[in-house]
Amino acid sequence: MKFLPFIWRQLARNKIRTLLTAGAIALAVALVCLLLTMPAGMDAMLKRLASNTRVVVVNKAGITYQLPYSYLQKIRAMPGVVGAASWTWYGGAFEIEKGVTFPNFAVEPDAIGSVWADYKIDPEQLESFRRHRNGALVGRATLTANHWKIGDTVSLRGTAWPVDLSFEIVGEVPNDRSPVFWLQREYLDQALRAAGRPGLDSLGIVWVRVDDAARVEPLLREIDETFRNSEAQTSSETEQSYFKNFFSMLQGFVTVILIVTGLVALCIVFIAANTASMSVRERFGEIAVLKAVGWSRRLIFGTLLAEAVLLSTLGGATGAAVSFGLTQALRGAAGWNPALGPLGGFVVSQAVAVQGLFLALFVGMISGVVPAFGAARRGVAETLREVF
Amino acid sequence: MIEIRDVSRIYQRGADEIHALEHVTLHIARGRFVALMGPSGSGKSTLLNLLAGLDRPSSGSVEVAGQRLNDLSEDELARFRARHVGFVFQFFNLIPVLDARANVELPLLLTKLTKADRLSRAETALRVVGLGERSHHKPSELSGGEQQRVAIARAIVSDPEIVVADEPTGDLDAKNATEILGLLRDLCRDFDKTVVMVTHDPRGESFVDEIHHLDKGVLRDSVAGGGGGA
Repeated sequence: MKFLPFIWRQLARNKIRTLLTAGAIALAVALVCLLLTMPAGMDAMLKRLASNTRVVVVNKAGITYQLPYSYLQKIRAMPGVVGAASWTWYGGAFEIEKGVTFPNFAVEPDAIGSVWADYKIDPEQLESFRRHRNGALVGRATLTANHWKIGDTVSLRGTAWPVDLSFEIVGEVPNDRSPVFWLQREYLDQALRAAGRPGLDSLGIVWVRVDDAARVEPLLREIDETFRNSEAQTSSETEQSYFKNFFSMLQGFVTVILIVTGLVALCIVFIAANTASMSVRERFGEIAVLKAVGWSRRLIFGTLLAEAVLLSTLGGATGAAVSFGLTQALRGAAGWNPALGPLGGFVVSQAVAVQGLFLALFVGMISGVVPAFGAARRGVAETLREVF
Repeated sequence: MIEIRDVSRIYQRGADEIHALEHVTLHIARGRFVALMGPSGSGKSTLLNLLAGLDRPSSGSVEVAGQRLNDLSEDELARFRARHVGFVFQFFNLIPVLDARANVELPLLLTKLTKADRLSRAETALRVVGLGERSHHKPSELSGGEQQRVAIARAIVSDPEIVVADEPTGDLDAKNATEILGLLRDLCRDFDKTVVMVTHDPRGESFVDEIHHLDKGVLRDSVAGGGGGA
């Protein structure tokens, strides 16, 4: 400890260089800490976006294959099912020449309230959706993007089905990020029949709300078992699992980010090593004098290494604190600003901050060890002869 | 105090051998103020390095304060220097980010003294060299003569028997050079230090007790200085 003031004053020798190096290390550690929050952040986002008591059932052959509509009634009759609704892709395009599209599905209006109770759709708007055959419930993101409001009439041109339909917007899905556009299945069915086509006898996806999370797994097995020997086998999973599979496609991207992070950390090692080398090189004379007055090689090595580690650790601690503060602020802001949405789930935990600190410690040791070793083993008489 | 017996020092520079010292034998008694003089490349700094424990001879024997230095390891030599030798250099070589007192305290960081004791001793050493009032000044705030006084305080703070000085007046004006030579002489007389100084400065001859002339690595002669008998 008695050498700490000496080490500290050496760091203060060139304040700008010290601050710039510490700043670079702080930035790198902050970046690494933020990136390390990604896996946990994605899990949090998943929990926020998806329910673990909502189940999605699709054709085992793939999401683009249909299921018989009769499946919906059979699933509704299974124990533990609170509600079930189907999604059938309408593929309606608004202003097709401008390429304005959004996901629009034909659904059963009676089941919306029970299957997506967590969406907290206004009950009056839900009722209005039930009563108006040409009614539509639209996600807030789509409403905002197209400058629509409740009461507007909107026409969509069918791309998946050969019918163009007009809708009255009767309600919104109160989620800023939701792009979904729901229409009544019956409306689409009747329009198809009126156009001389067979009506809807299939569906794309069945959404099921289960009364108890503990009953989800048995229900998944029961659904798939029920339709095992039928013409269209099913694949059932929870909504969270469904989205997780979707997010897993991003894993490659995350890997690239982590590789880039590693390279950034390596660059910082080089920067810190360069700083340590410069700092040692310009002090050869002083180091020789310290050796002359009796400082051992080990002590010279230790103080120079400690200097690099102290600088790096201070930079790393700043970086970890900044990233922690930033994510805490985001989390706080997400509480009152829904536009930030899932960003509130990305929080630098204590464990991640400690990992950042260890990274800084590692950077300091790696960057300091070579110049410190070189300076320590340099002969004192030789240095005195060269420098003076 | 210092026994140099038949010492040679040969440096290898590429394929060439540089004979910096050849068969030098020298005895320096305790409490003497000694000058090593000679032209550049005569081997006087090499001899100073050997008797200060900064370097080892290629042959011969160096014994200082009853200790044979030839056989000591690097760490043992470092401990020897810390205990027995104080250093004064031509360019002062103070650490610019430390104030005068912290510079003087540096050798004491190797001891087990408490911080209060270290600071007290550093203050005392600064008072001995006449800089008691300037202990909190950084080197950049001191004149050349004052910086060399701080260096002398650093050299004596751990109370070594020997002080070696390599061209201590080489970077000073006449007035400051005379003061520094007087201070080194006082260290011998008042504190019983053995001071060995390498110098080109003819003023030094009148302060020292003995002068040893070297040329081309060979000790040519030893004469009495103006400060005492040979």
